[in-house]
Amino acid sequence: MGLLDSFFDWLGFGKREVNVLVVGLDNSGKSSLLNYLRPRETQTDFIAPTVGFNLEHFVCKGLSFTAFDMSGQSRYRTLWGNYYRTTNGIIFVVDSSDKTRILVAREELQQLLSHPDISSRNIPIVFFANKMDIRDALSDVGVSSALGLDGVTNKSWHICSSNALKGEGVADGIEWLSSAIKSSLDQARR
Amino acid sequence: MLSSFRKQDKKDEESSTSGNPYKNLEKASVLQEARTFNETPVNTRKCIQILTKIIYMINQPEMGEQLGQTEATETFFAMTKLFQSKDMMLRRMIYLSIKEMSTVANDVIIVTSSLTRDMTGKEDSHRGPAIRALCKITDASMMQSVERYMKQAIVDKLASVASAALTSSVHLMRHGPEVVKRWVNEVQEAVNNDNIMVQYHALGLLYQIRRSDKHAIRKLILKFSKAGLRSPFAYCFLIRTAANLINEEGEGTDSPMYDFIDSCLRHKNEMVIYEAASTIVSLKCVTPKELSSAVNVLQLFISSPKPVLRYAAVRTLNKVAIQYPAAVTACNVDLETLITDSNRSIATLAITTLLKTGNEAGVDRLMKQISSFLSEISDQFKTVVVDAIKSLCQKFPRKHTVLMTFLANMLREEGGYEYKKAIVNTIISIVEENPEAKEAGLAHLCEFIEDCEHTSLATRILHLLGREGPRTTTPAKYIRYIYNRVILENAPVRAAAVSALAKFGAASEELLPNILVLLQRTTLDQDDEVRDRATFYYQLLKHNDKPLNSAYILNSMNVSISSLERLLHRYTMESTTKPFDVRSVPVEAVPVEQPKANISIVSGVSPGGSESKKAREDTFSEQLSVIPEFAHLGPIFKSSLPVDLSESEVEYVVRCIKHVFSHYIVFQFDINNTLNDQLLEKVTVQMDGSAEGFEVVHYTPCQVIKCNDTGSTYTLVKLPDDSSAVTGALACTMKYTVKDCDPATGEPDDEEGYADEFVLEDVEVSVSDHVQKVLKPNWSASWEEIGAENELEDTYTLPIPTLEECVKKIISYMGMQPCERSDKVPDGKASHALYLAGVYRGGHDVLVRAKMALGGTSSDPGAQAITMQLTIRSTDESAVQVIASAVE
Repeated sequence: MGLLDSFFDWLGFGKREVNVLVVGLDNSGKSSLLNYLRPRETQTDFIAPTVGFNLEHFVCKGLSFTAFDMSGQSRYRTLWGNYYRTTNGIIFVVDSSDKTRILVAREELQQLLSHPDISSRNIPIVFFANKMDIRDALSDVGVSSALGLDGVTNKSWHICSSNALKGEGVADGIEWLSSAIKSSLDQARR
Repeated sequence: MLSSFRKQDKKDEESSTSGNPYKNLEKASVLQEARTFNETPVNTRKCIQILTKIIYMINQPEMGEQLGQTEATETFFAMTKLFQSKDMMLRRMIYLSIKEMSTVANDVIIVTSSLTRDMTGKEDSHRGPAIRALCKITDASMMQSVERYMKQAIVDKLASVASAALTSSVHLMRHGPEVVKRWVNEVQEAVNNDNIMVQYHALGLLYQIRRSDKHAIRKLILKFSKAGLRSPFAYCFLIRTAANLINEEGEGTDSPMYDFIDSCLRHKNEMVIYEAASTIVSLKCVTPKELSSAVNVLQLFISSPKPVLRYAAVRTLNKVAIQYPAAVTACNVDLETLITDSNRSIATLAITTLLKTGNEAGVDRLMKQISSFLSEISDQFKTVVVDAIKSLCQKFPRKHTVLMTFLANMLREEGGYEYKKAIVNTIISIVEENPEAKEAGLAHLCEFIEDCEHTSLATRILHLLGREGPRTTTPAKYIRYIYNRVILENAPVRAAAVSALAKFGAASEELLPNILVLLQRTTLDQDDEVRDRATFYYQLLKHNDKPLNSAYILNSMNVSISSLERLLHRYTMESTTKPFDVRSVPVEAVPVEQPKANISIVSGVSPGGSESKKAREDTFSEQLSVIPEFAHLGPIFKSSLPVDLSESEVEYVVRCIKHVFSHYIVFQFDINNTLNDQLLEKVTVQMDGSAEGFEVVHYTPCQVIKCNDTGSTYTLVKLPDDSSAVTGALACTMKYTVKDCDPATGEPDDEEGYADEFVLEDVEVSVSDHVQKVLKPNWSASWEEIGAENELEDTYTLPIPTLEECVKKIISYMGMQPCERSDKVPDGKASHALYLAGVYRGGHDVLVRAKMALGGTSSDPGAQAITMQLTIRSTDESAVQVIASAVE
């Protein structure tokens, strides 16, 4: 891989630009997660509920990410679909302490996976079982089974526990996503 | 790419007249291009171009390539992806596109968070535009979520941000006034901003917030007039607001509001001074004393080196000159110097002002001066000159030769439609007002239509020629001009010319054979309408039958066109062998002519009354036709204006509208229940007119009138059998059941109410209720047509001092339409003849001739009285009796 990277650099591709979609229920921590990925000096302490979407940029493993941070409120969830077609990867954030609404999250995930723009393509999905610091939060395995991820066979996916406020586990998931996107892009190239 | 440029070049060469590259946009291809928005990385240049195209398309509805909702939404979402680019130009384009597409696309709130981030972000040049875009996509339900950001932005130290937030808030007031009102503290802080524009915008918003409360506005003006605002714009705004208050409340010049405006005359900023002066001269309550101080200020501006000030001052003086010529006379010397001003607009206004204030002797000199540079000024100012000439003609009727020649010269020169229309209107009004100028005016118009490119003007002139031409000394000379039109012009003009020719034929025995020949030739015209008209008139004129000519050529049908259309449509739906009865169509009322109080600079005398009136009668007939008891009454003949039957402050405000049918009258009572703790049930209005022979046939009660609500009840009354005595007064009493109810919910407290009654004022049924005004363009022809069969002639002595008053009274008592301009009594005449026309209930034509002469009675020759000989003709005998009774 390293060889290939330097090969691309040598060819002058520089950093490849990719789009990722950040979705999940409201108050699951999507904006906080992206806030953590910003440079230290531009991070904010106050995160307001997103209305519509926000755009964030970050860099990881030679990829330049443009993240569409979508609003998770129920009335805006239908708008996610407008961005599926152009996305290279999906970040799905789940509030692992909210056991009642995890079923709603499962519902939304099913809808997402059955959308024609998603189901036909091999898009990597990374799941963040967020708010792992809360005492009786589910583990990543628990979240995985609650969402029924075993049934997702035609996508490459990964789940990791995270704490978006402190940043624990975030880098881990993003790195997995970078390499997954890279390989899917290379696959498409071949 | 290159090829597309080349293609564009080629297109440009083909349509070399227009350099607009967006002229030939196609929706499909633009939408196709818009897919570029989905590409990563963003192609900035290309995306800006595409957005420009989209905005252009949205703003050119006449192109017929409008975006559908789905298309717009799709494009909008694709566009939102462009937020990833940091390019300044592209971002500004996105803001613009959001605003334009906000009304076409769905779910535009998707960009809310992106915009709030921009409006609080570091990039100052993005903040203002982001606020404007955000407010455009925010509806009432979203207001809460942007509130915090807006409050911050209003007090932002950056002027562009504060201004954007304030002006956007004014727009938001429409959707959510309640939310914006909560920002009043921030807005007040912004009024104290150092920036003059922010100050102005903040004041404007503050006014909007308090607008409904007159007292608060008054306090606001007084407070800020003392606070010493920096912004001249804010001062101008305060002056306008104060002037509104004065005019609305009918205050005099002693009000503190006026003192404030007056004090602004001494402000150090010219804009404020001018605003104060121009406001004072347009106040209703202004007296010569106040006027002179404002005019003094304007006089100083006239000699200013700045053209803008000179222009503003002379334009205002021009307006003042119409109402108060004396006040402007003081400036005449200064205005004279402006005649030669290098700025032609200023010169024109100066001259027209002088024309208004000057005397008859100066007219020739000034007219010469204008004609020296007439070719240099724009159409708009030429129109100002035309209007000035129009008012001159009214002021100095003897000068009509000079002025008419001048107008004719103007008519010959190049000019746009509006300008030509103004000239033609002026000439027509001169021809109608001033009999001496008639022949000259008609000759000029004839010459004009020889080479006239405006169809509507040509048809108007032809119509006028048809009406006025036959009554001139030599009608024959107009025939050639008119027949030339039949040969040379387009179909609408030809049709108008044929109608005009027919009028000459109907009016003059000598010309008839020639006209018949001309009409017969025209029966081979290629246009249907022209041919039909020619054939119709030819057949009619061949009979040489006076009544026939009068009924079908000289005077047209006087029915309401919209009602005719409705009834004909209904007739075609019915399966009947009965012929259609034109009598059943309601007569069209002549639109009430607005009294021309003052001839203003912009002469836009529009007959706005007729449209609403027509609509009104149609709605009435629809309302009444729903009630089964009224179905057999036939069409409404006339609906009166509402009459108040109660004082305005009492519990129940009752207004009555009389709907007259051929044998019945339906009284419609609109009852407004102003009490908030009582509701009325089973409301009827009992009427008693038995003394005069009116018989009540049916009451249609109003089932319930809720608190603060209005309901209608109807009373059907049969007219007296004696068809000559159909006037009188009917006593009215409102009967109803009252139920007390809870003011908060409006629900009745108890099941059973109690019966009560309320005495109303009497309803008068007068002669004018039975008559509909009708304008007969050729009154004397109709007079002959009806004949003397049912004629009634009588002489009266009326104790009325002047002829004008007598004319006015007779018209209002009889409710008939004055024809042949006989309602205007020439000055200094001792006798006058008034010609009236109308249609009596049942569709009978009625004509009245009243010859009046000033003079005393035989017993007391010194008394101020008028002797009047009244002659009434009608196709119906009883109508004559009824009309005659109006005088007694």
